[in-house]
Amino acid sequence: MWGFLTTITSLEFKGGKAFKPEEEHYLCMHWTVKRIFQAVFTVYVVVTLSFALIRLMPGGPMDYLRATLLGPDQTGTVDRERLNRQIELYMNINPDQPLWEQYVQYMSSVFTGDFGQSIWFNRPVAEILLEALPWTVFVMGIALLLTFAINIALGAIMAYKEGSRFDISMTFLSIISTSIPFYVGAILFLLFFSFTWELFPPGSRVNARLDPWTFEWIMSVLHHATLPILSSVLIGLGSGALIMRGNSIQVLGKDYLRVGRLRGLPEGRLALRYVGRNAVLPMYTSLMIAIGNVFGGAVVLEEIFTYPGVGYYLFVAVEARDYMLLMGAFILITVAVVVCLVVADLTYGLIDPRAKGGGYDEHA
Amino acid sequence: MAVTESSYSTGSSEDVIIETHDVSVYFEMDRGTSKVLDDVSLDIYREEILGIVGESGSGKSMFASALLDAVVAPGKTSGDILYHDADGSTIDVLSLNQEELRAFRWEKVSMVFQGAMDSFNPTLRIKGHFIETLKAHDFDVDEGLERATDLLAQVYLDPDRVLSSYPHELSGGMKQRVLIALSLLLDPDVLVMDEPTAALDLLMQRSILRLLENLQQRYDLTVLFITHDLPLVAELSDRVAVLYAFQFVEVGPVSELLERSSHPYTRALLNAVPTLQTPLSDMEPIEGSSPDPINVPTGCSYHPRCPLADERCIGEEPPFYATEHDDHQTKCFHWEDAISEIPLAHHKSTTGSSQIVEGKQSEEPVLTLDNLCVHFENNNSFLGLFGESQTVFAVDEIDLDLYENDILAIVGESGCGKTTLGKASIALQRPTSGEVQYRGDDIWAVKDGRSESDRSYSAIRRALQIIHQDPGSSLNPNQKILRTLESPIKHWKSDMSQTDRRSQIYGLLEYVGLTPAEEYAQRYPHQLSGGEKQRVALTRALLMNPEVILADEAVSALDVSLRVEMMDMMISLQNMFDTSYIFISHDLANARYFAGSVGGRIAVMYLGEIVEIGPAEEVIQNPKHPYTKVLKWSTAELDSDASQEELPLRNIDIPDPVNPPSGCRFHTRCPEARTECRVNSPKLEATDDGDGIEAHQVACFLDKPRDHPYWSSDQLVSEDNPTLVE
Amino acid sequence: MSTPEATSEQDETLESLFEGYTPEEQTLLDKIQTFLYESVYSPFLIMWVDWRTRVGLMILLGFVLMGTVGPRVVERTYVNHGPYTQPWFQSMDHPLGTDRIGHDILSLTVHATPAMLEMVAGGAIFAVVVATLVGTVSGYTGGKIDFVLTTFTDIALNIPGLPLIIVLAAIFEPERAFLVGILLTINAWAGLARAIRSQVLTIRQEAYVEASFTLDMPLSYIVRRDILPNLMPYILMNLMEMARHVIFASVALYFLGILPFTTHNWGIMLNEAYQHQAHTRLDLFYWMAVPIIVIGLISVGLILVAQGMDRVFNPRVRARFDQSKETSTEVDNV
Ligand code: SF4
Ligand code: SF4
Repeated sequence: MWGFLTTITSLEFKGGKAFKPEEEHYLCMHWTVKRIFQAVFTVYVVVTLSFALIRLMPGGPMDYLRATLLGPDQTGTVDRERLNRQIELYMNINPDQPLWEQYVQYMSSVFTGDFGQSIWFNRPVAEILLEALPWTVFVMGIALLLTFAINIALGAIMAYKEGSRFDISMTFLSIISTSIPFYVGAILFLLFFSFTWELFPPGSRVNARLDPWTFEWIMSVLHHATLPILSSVLIGLGSGALIMRGNSIQVLGKDYLRVGRLRGLPEGRLALRYVGRNAVLPMYTSLMIAIGNVFGGAVVLEEIFTYPGVGYYLFVAVEARDYMLLMGAFILITVAVVVCLVVADLTYGLIDPRAKGGGYDEHA
Repeated sequence: MAVTESSYSTGSSEDVIIETHDVSVYFEMDRGTSKVLDDVSLDIYREEILGIVGESGSGKSMFASALLDAVVAPGKTSGDILYHDADGSTIDVLSLNQEELRAFRWEKVSMVFQGAMDSFNPTLRIKGHFIETLKAHDFDVDEGLERATDLLAQVYLDPDRVLSSYPHELSGGMKQRVLIALSLLLDPDVLVMDEPTAALDLLMQRSILRLLENLQQRYDLTVLFITHDLPLVAELSDRVAVLYAFQFVEVGPVSELLERSSHPYTRALLNAVPTLQTPLSDMEPIEGSSPDPINVPTGCSYHPRCPLADERCIGEEPPFYATEHDDHQTKCFHWEDAISEIPLAHHKSTTGSSQIVEGKQSEEPVLTLDNLCVHFENNNSFLGLFGESQTVFAVDEIDLDLYENDILAIVGESGCGKTTLGKASIALQRPTSGEVQYRGDDIWAVKDGRSESDRSYSAIRRALQIIHQDPGSSLNPNQKILRTLESPIKHWKSDMSQTDRRSQIYGLLEYVGLTPAEEYAQRYPHQLSGGEKQRVALTRALLMNPEVILADEAVSALDVSLRVEMMDMMISLQNMFDTSYIFISHDLANARYFAGSVGGRIAVMYLGEIVEIGPAEEVIQNPKHPYTKVLKWSTAELDSDASQEELPLRNIDIPDPVNPPSGCRFHTRCPEARTECRVNSPKLEATDDGDGIEAHQVACFLDKPRDHPYWSSDQLVSEDNPTLVE
Repeated sequence: MSTPEATSEQDETLESLFEGYTPEEQTLLDKIQTFLYESVYSPFLIMWVDWRTRVGLMILLGFVLMGTVGPRVVERTYVNHGPYTQPWFQSMDHPLGTDRIGHDILSLTVHATPAMLEMVAGGAIFAVVVATLVGTVSGYTGGKIDFVLTTFTDIALNIPGLPLIIVLAAIFEPERAFLVGILLTINAWAGLARAIRSQVLTIRQEAYVEASFTLDMPLSYIVRRDILPNLMPYILMNLMEMARHVIFASVALYFLGILPFTTHNWGIMLNEAYQHQAHTRLDLFYWMAVPIIVIGLISVGLILVAQGMDRVFNPRVRARFDQSKETSTEVDNV
């Protein structure tokens, strides 16, 4: 997933043919409905996919659970009925029913928020994940905003000083930073900041001995979140700045900037309202891609920093072969990403007066 | 007789608002200095309209930018530019610092660029542009906005609507007018306009010029109008300066320049322009092309193209000579001879229709359009839930026949549906209803397999070809010319040997003037000029020996001097290939030149309907429909004292084709409209003024006898101040 | 068939036009030569001219050699091959050091390359081919097919990639290298497909495409000649990016132990180092550093080559190249 970001990069800083978000003239209302429908459909497809993976894979999750429940001796002392009831408890699927009923049952429980039971933790999956979700959103949200702000500032400055030593060295650094996988950055952070210099804690989300919502507690939360946030910022840093740089250079060559200058507008206004605003617009699409990347990256980062968010549980689930937890985490991450994308899409029209219908569908 | 270099603009200094002395604009490059404006000196008089004419790349935009010290880096400006303020003080423009320059621009001298489409910040409402300009110059915002409203109304815009719009919501013509209003916001004394109308329809160009004249008088402006289009400024300007190869070559009052221009280049320019009055046979293109800044010819820079050039012209640079008229100077050794040696076409006879080549049209039509409609659905509904679809009536109920060897010119403003009609006629656009027949077979029935005819769709398809408007995109940029031309032959005439194939291609290329053909064939499109690309496009269209070629504004993007050449070539190829043309243009003069020379017809289109059609000369000389008259008015004539009559339109902008006006669609703009026109729509019927030309048809009540209800209904008057009616 | 309704009279006029031209007939050999020249030799030279692309090409060439010749030259390592955890640059026998059970790190790195290359090629080619197919078809045909493909693409685009890959990897446990590659790009094609679609929609409007259509050229011609060449730089750049994506993602997943361990692999090396707390001790840093540097290097190579792609397909550069070649042969002749 994070490949896209860099894809765009290498196009932009070449000044080559980058593909801009398409303009369209859909009426707002219709487009909104369409977009939301599409989002719901995506979630529906993902949940169906999870059902298929659980139920239909031979030797897959269902058989695995059965084997686990039967215990190591596999003697079959447990009667079939009881076994199936247990499976139903864990998976919301009763293997005795016809397939379509299983499907309906599974879908309806997932959409009412029942993700089944985690074998590993022996707790409802929904409970585990809902408790973890705010932490993931907290870390990733801050990381996203930081990345975006830094990228915009950096890119704009590079564009204004196009060809200067600053520009060249930053471009070079950006290429280097995109060449290093972000998890490598995370590992290096851990090696130096946690283990070598012991500046930041290497894991967990807060000092558990502190009372919630006290000042110390909040400081401890921030302290624990610093490294995950920093490494996440690394994901999109260089490439985003280069995109912004390319956009700004384009805007700097536009006639309206020249006319604005002739009209005697102050440089500050030109920089913010003219260059900044118009160069940031196409960045919005990359923000949407970044959302997906950041949540995807969260899985890896939370594991490296043993930071118990949704991604961490996804990972634990893989190791423990706790398939219900795995699917729950996957569905939840998908929902989070889809919601972010919808919000981003729908607000795009507010920022860009030309896009009455957001960033999709190019039929004019 | 020779005068010194810099003093050719006489005139007492209190009349002069801007003096320029030896102004140069240059770029330092690896290969040396490239001068794109070469030591020019010119005085601009207070409250005059000065036209500056030159081909593209002659340095005229540089002159405009230099006046505001706004040449884009890395270009540098040298010389003296002195601005004489109304209060008697003098400003040395090139020595101003940033802050002074900021105040000077827009308050004293403001500028309108060529690219109005791109002159506004797309994320800022029009109102924001006005306010920020006022604030930046510490003007009172409320007062300023009042003035803005006033200015917008004067350029025929609805101030409230426009102010609250975003730039992309306005059409090109509207934006250009908003830009003019914006440039006059701070009450400057001088307005510099750099090709302000180049990208617009003729009618819009002319309307804007007329508005400009009014504004100039009302606000006592000095206007500098820079263009490549001599006839366009001829009517507007008081004086004209002609720029060639980065230097002025002739300066003088406009009447002098039109009647007694004494520089061979100016005379050539005048002769290269098709107009409605000039006899067709006398228009001739200028040979050759204007020089490159790094390679300006020695002596008189015009000598490679000049018919009068001699040894002296090659070795020595001519000074300025004053002619009989004291304010008219020419930079040519042989200016006296030029007047006699190069006769001006528009002097000879002003009665047109001198000679019409008889076309050999067939009886049977090649193409027949029968009640053709093309409507576009702007369907925004989601699963039909909110079913608010809008229909654009691009082409409405059109009947037409096109014969062998025929030429039909379709004329109208952009947005009138002429391109859609053209594409529908050559089956590139499926009609919503009605038929397009090729020699009696309904093309779309053949394509869908609904027809009995044994003619194949493929054969029809190849018989109808197209040349596009934009030379830039008419050829595949990734292929060499040879490959572009060779592929269709390879595919359709696979039995042809490579030798034959190539010799055919080279022969055609040679014929359209691309010699040496072998070398041109090996080029990529970007290595050709716009005119050359269009010739290749023409060659490609001819490969299949087509019956009909649609030329969609095929010459509009070319320089004036190249247009005639291209049209001549198309006509001569018609004779050779027995092809018919559908020629689409917004310019009545081009249509006349093209259609008139072989006895073709002109159809005038307005909002999806044909409002007048007839033999070219008949439509031009004897227009019946008010809209045709307006179009004719818009075709600038080489006449310095053309009457100052009011704009013959009640509204400048073409209405939205989504909701075309009721009754006669032209009634919202027609100066002759009466209440009857709002209710009933006139049919396209033969005129009966007794001149016996049956083919001349018009759709207007004006042409009806006196007992028609039109004559007894009330005149529609424009609401006092011309603002947008819809 | 020849021209529709062409009369013989016309043909005569045409004939007269073409007289005096007898271009040389090209032999098959000439054609092959031209083809090789246009599609292999000159693109390569154009890329070679730019030093950045040259460096990139050399890096990639190095990895290809490492994947093909490398395993034959470098001895396969085994447990107790050398001393335990010997740091790098200490001995000529184990220049990059050894791991905890005496594996030679250089050998591990080299022997991991073939599988890595197979995976990268599988994934990148899969993603780019699917994206190009979906994007071109849906952009060119429009209508129902377009609707279905667009919906499909948008869904794939909305699902977060890495979690999807992890879920699928956990359930399918793929082992063949190229299957792993495909799994890693399971929805990475979607973004590219959408970009290509919108690009095709734009190109379809170009006058020259309409001209080909008017000449009734077959669809395959229009797609091959008019549409794809415009997209080629973009597609090839994305091929390089996809390759990078596959490398990054695979290393991440092996490193996290989500993909089943098979042969040697840079990600597995990283994982083993990590398991042995190399990320907590500076003295074991070299153990992690080697795979990291290798990954960084190949990534830089891919980025540099991707940037050069733009030049190869740019007709302006090619034309300039043709010209310079002409002048140089002229000089030769003198
Ligand atoms: S000086 Fe000579 S070359 Fe120049 S315009 Fe006059 S006659 Fe022609
Ligand atoms: S019918 Fe009426 S509105 Fe229409 S053109 Fe004639 S006079 Fe004008």
